[in-house]
Amino acid sequence: MSKLGKALLPAVFGIVVLGLWEWGVRAAEIPDYVLPGPLAIFNALTANFTDLAQGLAVTLQVTVVALVLAALTGAGIAFLLAQSKLAEHMLFPYAVILQVTPIVTVAPFVIIWVSNIFVVLLILAWMAAVFPIISNTLFGLKSVDPNLRDLFRLYGATKPQTAWRLLLPSTLPHFLSGLRIAGGLALIGTVVAEMVAGTSGERSGLASRLLEASYRLELAKALACFMLLSITGLVLYALLDWLSGRLLRHWHESALESAHD
Amino acid sequence: MNAPLLTLSGITQSFPSGTQALRPVDLSIAEGSFVSLVGPSGCGKSTLLRIASGLLTPTSGRVARAFESKPGGVAFVFQDSTLMPWATVARNVSLPLELAGVAAPEAVVRATDALRRVGLAEFADAYPRQLSGGMRMRVSIARAIVTNPRLLLMDEPFAALDEFTRFKLNEDLLQLWQANRWTVMFVTHSVREAVFLSERVVVMSPRPGAVVADLTIHLPAPRTDAMRLGHAFADECARLTHILGQAMGVAA
Repeated sequence: MSKLGKALLPAVFGIVVLGLWEWGVRAAEIPDYVLPGPLAIFNALTANFTDLAQGLAVTLQVTVVALVLAALTGAGIAFLLAQSKLAEHMLFPYAVILQVTPIVTVAPFVIIWVSNIFVVLLILAWMAAVFPIISNTLFGLKSVDPNLRDLFRLYGATKPQTAWRLLLPSTLPHFLSGLRIAGGLALIGTVVAEMVAGTSGERSGLASRLLEASYRLELAKALACFMLLSITGLVLYALLDWLSGRLLRHWHESALESAHD
Repeated sequence: MNAPLLTLSGITQSFPSGTQALRPVDLSIAEGSFVSLVGPSGCGKSTLLRIASGLLTPTSGRVARAFESKPGGVAFVFQDSTLMPWATVARNVSLPLELAGVAAPEAVVRATDALRRVGLAEFADAYPRQLSGGMRMRVSIARAIVTNPRLLLMDEPFAALDEFTRFKLNEDLLQLWQANRWTVMFVTHSVREAVFLSERVVVMSPRPGAVVADLTIHLPAPRTDAMRLGHAFADECARLTHILGQAMGVAA
């Protein structure tokens, strides 16, 4: 199948589904506060554009900052854990606990302990995103080619030389695959945190506005928020995927398709 | 015979798992010689090579080197080409120089020269995955010789290659050695390879490994491709096969 065909196929499917949805809603005369059609959602989006854009900006800000923090701290924690088997055995279970604990259950405590709502959202989104980065980076650090390690040792490489020239590039593909998962999780974490924290007003994110709209039975606006969040997640993933391919394009199997040789 | 460059005395090796890899091994390697180690799988040849390189400290025994031990003095070629997939061929070859702090312009010149000597000058900017297995092994050899090492250790470097490529690399390695006279310790499973390349072949017993035979190969230098078809070569191969068979406890 041609490249264009591959790109068009999902779009055609989406348009057909939206068309059926619009037709169904009109034919069955379903009121907007029960199920609005796609056109009503689009109208809600344009009518509330400033409002929703503000919300999106807040949500994006939390998501991106949390993701960057998760990337830095996750990689750092993995590097520390890789330094000794003892440290790994002692601490890794806690990283797992961090992952398996639903953040909804942690949120009330964080809200009590931290007064700044932005920091609350950040902490919860970070908690959701950091584990795949720790886990993947640690896996990468442990799967460095032992012969290359020997080679570096034989040539008297210093610790920084080994870290910079061997560990960093060997681990990069694993780190990036962790980052791609973490991107989606950071967004989910932000959304869940916003809903639990129950922010309102100018500084509230898209998820808070979604909740607010649904309480008022403004279902078209709520669904507009929902769609914006989905698109945000998609764009975030696409960006991270592009970044990964870009960084690995010369050498890694995962990026082979984009290389020309 | 030249003075020994490397002397291993009373080397034994046991691993924490309880496996005894080497019985006391005494071996001395003359400067500028090409010595092959042959023996059954798991007999400790690779372990002995790692001990000679200094990567592994033996359980007991002494390793004496007749040269200053500084990075680049000993080079190691692994069975796998062990290249950094993220670096170009040139950067792979200059790695030992870069780690030793050699200035970039000089490192580039020396890496280019090493690549030229293995016949890969025009592939400097390629990435390892763009090369065939034989070419990757040439890059690995270029990286090993770039520091002009005193001792070159090779652990079954051609085992994974097809026969034709292997023959070609054997010849090229021999030419490089004849031109530079590094001291080479070469681990192999192949009798023909050992006979063709070596001045001396050390035969090891099954685990725990020990030296059971030490033969000089009676073939004139310089060795040529044509020699592989001659009687002398066939005779030496037969002799080594016989001794190897005895070492493995099989009637040859």
